[in-house]
Formats: sequence, C-alpha cells, structure tokens
Amino acid sequence: MKLKEDLGRFFSLLADEIFYTGRYLRKRHGVLPGAVVQQLYVMGYKSFPIVALITFLVGITISLTSAAQLELFGADIYLADLIGLAMIQELVPLMTGIMLAGKIGASITAEIATMKVMDEIDALKTMGVVPEKFLMAPRLVAITLVVPLLVAMADTVGIGGGVIVARVALGTPPGVFLREVFSVVTLGDFLTGILKTMVFGWAVVVGAGYKGFFIDRGAEGVGKATTESVVLAISLIIGLDCIFAFVLY
Amino acid sequence: MDVIRAVNLDVGYGGVPVLRCLNFTIPPGKITVVVGESGSGKSTLLKALIGLSRPLAGDVYWGEERIDYDSEHSLGALYRRIGVLYQNSALLNSLTLYENIALPIRIHRSQTPRPAEEARVHEVLWMVGLHGADEKFPYELSGGMRKRAALARAMVLEPEIVFCDEPSAGLDPLTAAGLDELLRSLQASHGMTFVAVTHELRSIGRIADRVLLLRGDGIRFNGEYRDVEASGDEYLRSFFLIKDEKP
Repeated sequence: MKLKEDLGRFFSLLADEIFYTGRYLRKRHGVLPGAVVQQLYVMGYKSFPIVALITFLVGITISLTSAAQLELFGADIYLADLIGLAMIQELVPLMTGIMLAGKIGASITAEIATMKVMDEIDALKTMGVVPEKFLMAPRLVAITLVVPLLVAMADTVGIGGGVIVARVALGTPPGVFLREVFSVVTLGDFLTGILKTMVFGWAVVVGAGYKGFFIDRGAEGVGKATTESVVLAISLIIGLDCIFAFVLY
Repeated sequence: MDVIRAVNLDVGYGGVPVLRCLNFTIPPGKITVVVGESGSGKSTLLKALIGLSRPLAGDVYWGEERIDYDSEHSLGALYRRIGVLYQNSALLNSLTLYENIALPIRIHRSQTPRPAEEARVHEVLWMVGLHGADEKFPYELSGGMRKRAALARAMVLEPEIVFCDEPSAGLDPLTAAGLDELLRSLQASHGMTFVAVTHELRSIGRIADRVLLLRGDGIRFNGEYRDVEASGDEYLRSFFLIKDEKP
C-alpha cells in the first residue's frame, strides 16, 4: 500500500516536472531570472573537480588491473580498446551519475526539505508560485545543459588515466594508445554515453525533488530525506543502467 | 461587503473533520483574531482559507465569488488577493530581503518596470521599519526583523487581506508588542484587513477588533472583542482570564 502510494506520488511529481519545465521553456515565466545560470554554476562548475578526480582515478585503476592481465597474453594495445569503450560507454556515465547523486541530489533534497519544514514551500504557493516549477525547472534545464560538458571532460580525463598507465606500465606511446582508442570508439558511443548520463542526471534531480517535497516529518526528517535521496538516486541510476544495457547491447 | 464568507464549512485532515459546519464572515478594515486552545483547529482553518488545503464540505466566498479549490485559475485569483505572514516568516534564505519582497511582483506583475518595482519594495520596507536593510539576507536578521520583512512581502501586492499565523510567536515581549503595534498602525492608516491566528492573550488584547473563538468542533464565540468581557459564557471568560468581580 505504501509502495503504491509512493510510486503514485513519484510519478505524479515526475509528470508535474515535465509539464512545468516544458511550460517554462515555452513561456520563460514562473522562475526567477538567472536561476538556470545559478544552477549551471552549482551543477557544472562546482561538480567539475570531483567528477574529474573520480573518473581519472577510475581510469587509472581499471588500466592498472587490466594491464597486467593483457600483458600476459601480449595484448598490451587492447588496453586502449578496453579503456576507451569502458570509460565512454559505461564508467563515465555511471560514475558521473553517482557523483551527481551525492553532490547535487543530496543538496537539492536538503534545500527543498528545509524549505518545506520552514513553511517556505507553502509561502511560495500562497504567492501564486508553483514550487515544482520554481524550484525544479531551472535544475532540470541546467542538468540537461551541463551533462554533455561534464561527460566530455570526464571521458577525456578517464582516458587520460589510461594513457598514463599504458605509458608507464606497458611503455605504449600516448599517440599509439589514442589512435587505437579512436579506431574502436565511434561518435555513437560518445553520444550514447551523454544520453545515459543525461537520463541519470534527470533521475537524480527528480528523485531528489521527490524526497524533498514529500518529507513527512519535521526538522529531523531533513537528514533522513537527504540520505534516502542519495540511496534512491543511486538505485535509479543502477536500474536505468541495467535497462540501457538490455536495450543497447 | 464582507471580505470572506464561510458557509457550512468543514475543515480537517485526511478526510477527518476537525471543525464542522462553520458559518462566519470576515469584515473589511478590521483585525479578526482566530483563537482557541492548542489543537482546536486554528491552523487547519487558516490553511483552508488561504487555499493550502481543500475544505471537506461547504463553501468559502470572496465577496460574491465562490472559491473553487479544484481550479488552478480560482486559486491563482485567490493568491493575488491575499498576503500571508507565516509563523516561521518563511522568507527564502537564498534571496536578499529586496529579492524576497520583490518576488510576488516578479511573479504576478512581471511587466512592472524596475524603477516601479524598486519604489514599491522600498515603500513597504519603509512601512514596516526596515528601510536600508534591503540587501541583507534573512539569516542576517533578528526574529522580529524577519517577521517585519515577511509582513512587507505579504503586503507588497496590496492584498485585500493579510493572514497572520501566530504573528508574535517566538518573539520577546517587547518585539511582540512592536509587531502588534505595527499591525494595528497599518490597519488604522491603510484600512487593511487582517486575520490573525494566535493564542497569546496579550497580543489578542493589543490587536483584536473581532474574535473568533474555536472550541470542540465549532465556533464558541464570534463577535467584537469589546463584547468578550461582557459575555456571560464561562468558557469564554476563563479562556480570556476574565475574573468575576466578587460581591
């Protein structure tokens, strides 16, 4: 019964957010001027370093663990194929999504849940503002704009980790490594990576909004909602990734 | 004509009525105070009047116009006519005072030229005694200043009525008295209509023109504040701590 109610509220909020974001894009009304730019700064600029660091470290780790095995079979050069495809198709979307869940999702839930506890959501309603539009539309627009940039950067940095390991551990020149990467990775792979990350980003924002708007207790509920938001976002990301794997491969 | 008229109104939570068959009016240009014990349904009634929850039965009229709680249009019209001062002030912490107060203008009158917007925001800031504080953030203000700022935001669109939820709650006696004085002076100088929900007797004594006392699942007293003392209703007298004169 509770699950049914939760699902009903989640999909109802999802429908509202799609509707109000569409309406905002058409009429540019009901949202504070500059809100999208502010969200671009928070979601893009502020997330840039942590996403870069994590994808770089993942690139290095995967390269190191794979290099030793590939070297045994004299297949050193296939490290480039492995890293190129793994980073672009799977690891960058997944790691970027999880980073966004921890950094952006948690902050959205904490902010909205606090606003709810402090009556700010009610205040917005009685000012004739639609909170689902006012608070969520700029975030959904911003995440859509910021994801391609984050993914391009993370792909570059992650493959860069592979280049370093290949050079140091296997002696593969960077030029050779990159030529091999570009011979196996297509534009379609890159765009698929962006699409997947974008869907993960939307899941993070919608999930975070859901946990924030439907907080059911007072101030002590804010912390609980924030934690649940991260768990929900990561679960959604893994679930959606699984669906993508079935559909795409 | 009365600003608000409630007819056979039932309000409650989750389908369970807290107050039943309420019939009352809110006259213009006066301060009506809704009072009652904790849990008597004051806030529930307020939420229904400001459109945050749907009444379980009955109707609410603004003038001759019935509020349709299922209609986005009807609720939108309601929100343009009211201002609300929340117990927690409910200012948006990420915005400056100026931006908080300008928000209703930017939402409802988005074509307002910037100089006109600035003039109106500074006017209401001046009315509540906060001129010069427009670039401060809510977290930089004291509780009393936040309440004043929230009142300025509630008044910025010149609403027909301002609802105040526990206006003096959480304030020290002097600051609370100052806020009550402000409400009273705004009512006197601008003829504004206020509905305040409170249970603070000193505050009621300072601001009330009319009293709506809730008890059980209905209204126990609805009338002028000056008539409270003359009333023979024992509950009413004990609620307002009126001592019987000994012979």
